[in-house]
Amino acid sequence: MADRLTSRANPDVGKTVINGLALLLVLSYAVPYVYLVSTSLKPAADVQQIPPSFFPDRVTLENFETAIGTAGLPQAFLNSAIVAVLTTVLSLLIAVPAAYVATSYRRPLTVSFLLFALVTRMVPPVSLGVPLFQLLKSLGLLDTTTGLVLAHTSNAVPLALLLMAAFFENVPKDLEEAARIDGCSRFQAFLHIILPVMRGGMAITALFSFIASWNEFLFALLLTSQNSKTAPIVIAEFNSVYGLAWGPMTAAAVLYSLPVILVTLVLQKQIIGGLTFGAVKG
Amino acid sequence: MAHITLDKVNKVYGDSFHAIHDLTFDIRDGEFMVFVGPSGCGKSTALRMIAGLESISSGEVSIGDRVVNGVDPKDRDIAMVFQSYALYPHKTVRENIAFPLRMAGMKSAEIDAKVDEAARILELTPHLDRKPAHLSGGQRQRVAMGRAIVRKPKAFLMDEPLSNLDAKLRVQMRAEIAGLQRSLGVTTVYVTHDQVEAMTMGDRVTVLKAGRLQQVDTPQNLYNRPANVFVAAFIGSPSMNLFEAQLDGETLRLGSQEIPLPAPVFETRPSLRSHAGRPVIVGIRPEDIDDASVTEKRAFAEISAPVTLVESLGAETLAHLEIDAPQVDAEGVDDGTEGRRPASAVGRFAPRTQVRPGDRARLAVTAENLHFFDRDTRLSIW
Repeated sequence: MADRLTSRANPDVGKTVINGLALLLVLSYAVPYVYLVSTSLKPAADVQQIPPSFFPDRVTLENFETAIGTAGLPQAFLNSAIVAVLTTVLSLLIAVPAAYVATSYRRPLTVSFLLFALVTRMVPPVSLGVPLFQLLKSLGLLDTTTGLVLAHTSNAVPLALLLMAAFFENVPKDLEEAARIDGCSRFQAFLHIILPVMRGGMAITALFSFIASWNEFLFALLLTSQNSKTAPIVIAEFNSVYGLAWGPMTAAAVLYSLPVILVTLVLQKQIIGGLTFGAVKG
Repeated sequence: MAHITLDKVNKVYGDSFHAIHDLTFDIRDGEFMVFVGPSGCGKSTALRMIAGLESISSGEVSIGDRVVNGVDPKDRDIAMVFQSYALYPHKTVRENIAFPLRMAGMKSAEIDAKVDEAARILELTPHLDRKPAHLSGGQRQRVAMGRAIVRKPKAFLMDEPLSNLDAKLRVQMRAEIAGLQRSLGVTTVYVTHDQVEAMTMGDRVTVLKAGRLQQVDTPQNLYNRPANVFVAAFIGSPSMNLFEAQLDGETLRLGSQEIPLPAPVFETRPSLRSHAGRPVIVGIRPEDIDDASVTEKRAFAEISAPVTLVESLGAETLAHLEIDAPQVDAEGVDDGTEGRRPASAVGRFAPRTQVRPGDRARLAVTAENLHFFDRDTRLSIW
């Protein structure tokens, strides 16, 4: 009897432990962001209170008013948006066809091509900063949106290429072949059949490219100064030699995180579809 | 519609793997030709070369009177049904079937009429607005068929289209495809590894092994007059029993037992006498081995063998026997034991047989139906 009870209870205990661990993991992700939001809603006096409080005693939007009123921040948001959108578009335009060719027509050269993309991900971005600075300077593109888009694209394309290659690997070759039998050239088969099938994969790749550019700090710091400063740089400047404006800084950071959260929510279906693409037989 | 000709077609991958060797045959206009063979025999490669999805290393493929070696698949005017169906997942059934017509630049009204007609034939009308993911396996198969028939191409190419269906549906679709092909009269090349499909569907069947043509013939001829040991064993279920035997005058020595051969055996195979005194490979179909104690056969030779297993299938009983004669491997692969180990054989007994495993059964062998093959060349002796 006791044995039967133990064996029946064990799975429940195991489930509870797993759920508890999962909750702990989720909280470890969520805590910094929740603290960011909480700080942005605290009055100035509470922000630097010692010991710090996790939740505000009084909720205020004064930090958001200060942040929005800060000179240069709205423009920096706009710059970030322009750079991130252009980087995303450009990365997809390069990576999608390149990944398709590299996976569909496997040759030693295409395999090396993908391997090289992987290698570039291993290079520390800081070591690319100086050559990029000199390159953009010689092209007259320092402190321009175009220059930053090119820099971000060079950073985003390898990741986009590897992601898209992984997605294309899961597209049955039969689809392209069926389209070719049905009257398509190779390019038409890619355009009419393969691309629409890859919507989920492209949504994920677009999101990752967008986030990579939207959050990028180092290249923006090195390659911009006045005209094309992006939001991460302006937000960092809240913390300057003239003082620590934690409240407005966290408020600006919360505002800056909203587009990414919104995009993720909007693309939720495609992202889950893309992540599980090929996992189960259709 | 068109005839399809393969003339000394070869396919070599890289420098080493020779997948297809000098494949030569003609598929007649309106004919249902089946390519059959074990995995890796090159049947799908041959089909894909006809489709233009695989390049040809040497030789010529013609569709109609046109050599199509360098012609793009889209310009060959063929339709293909894939094993996976290859339905476009983002398109509805209607859009899937209409796709080849749209690519051909047909007007919308005409496309709608043709799609509706194809859907009616394949009983897909209620599903036209669904996506493939919401269809059953059988319905997906029909959509793939619809996409093929809607164009009225010169030829249908089908690459194991039924292998993803369950057994019951496969039998149903087998009949439907064969019926559809007959009513449309379009030249069809059908690839399968299932010899039952090959035998029941094809006007003629091409048997391939390791990229080499073994025999092209009607199903009945493949069964009754196999060209070699491989075809004899591949066609028919259960397989033909193959033993090494000795031909002494008009008597066949099968291990320690003897089977007197009647005159018709030599009349239908004039060159058999030249093998007298030499070892030959003898083939006995399971239906030519019965339980002598209950058989209704009138002319038979009697031998005996221990029964190792009995499988009752209702209408018949399969008896597994151990024949006192050396075994022959149908694939021609000698692992060192060929010709030495005793042969396992299967007899198709009348259902009222009383034999049990462990019994020594008296076997009625229809000697007139025996098959003989040269031991060295493995070719049929006629």
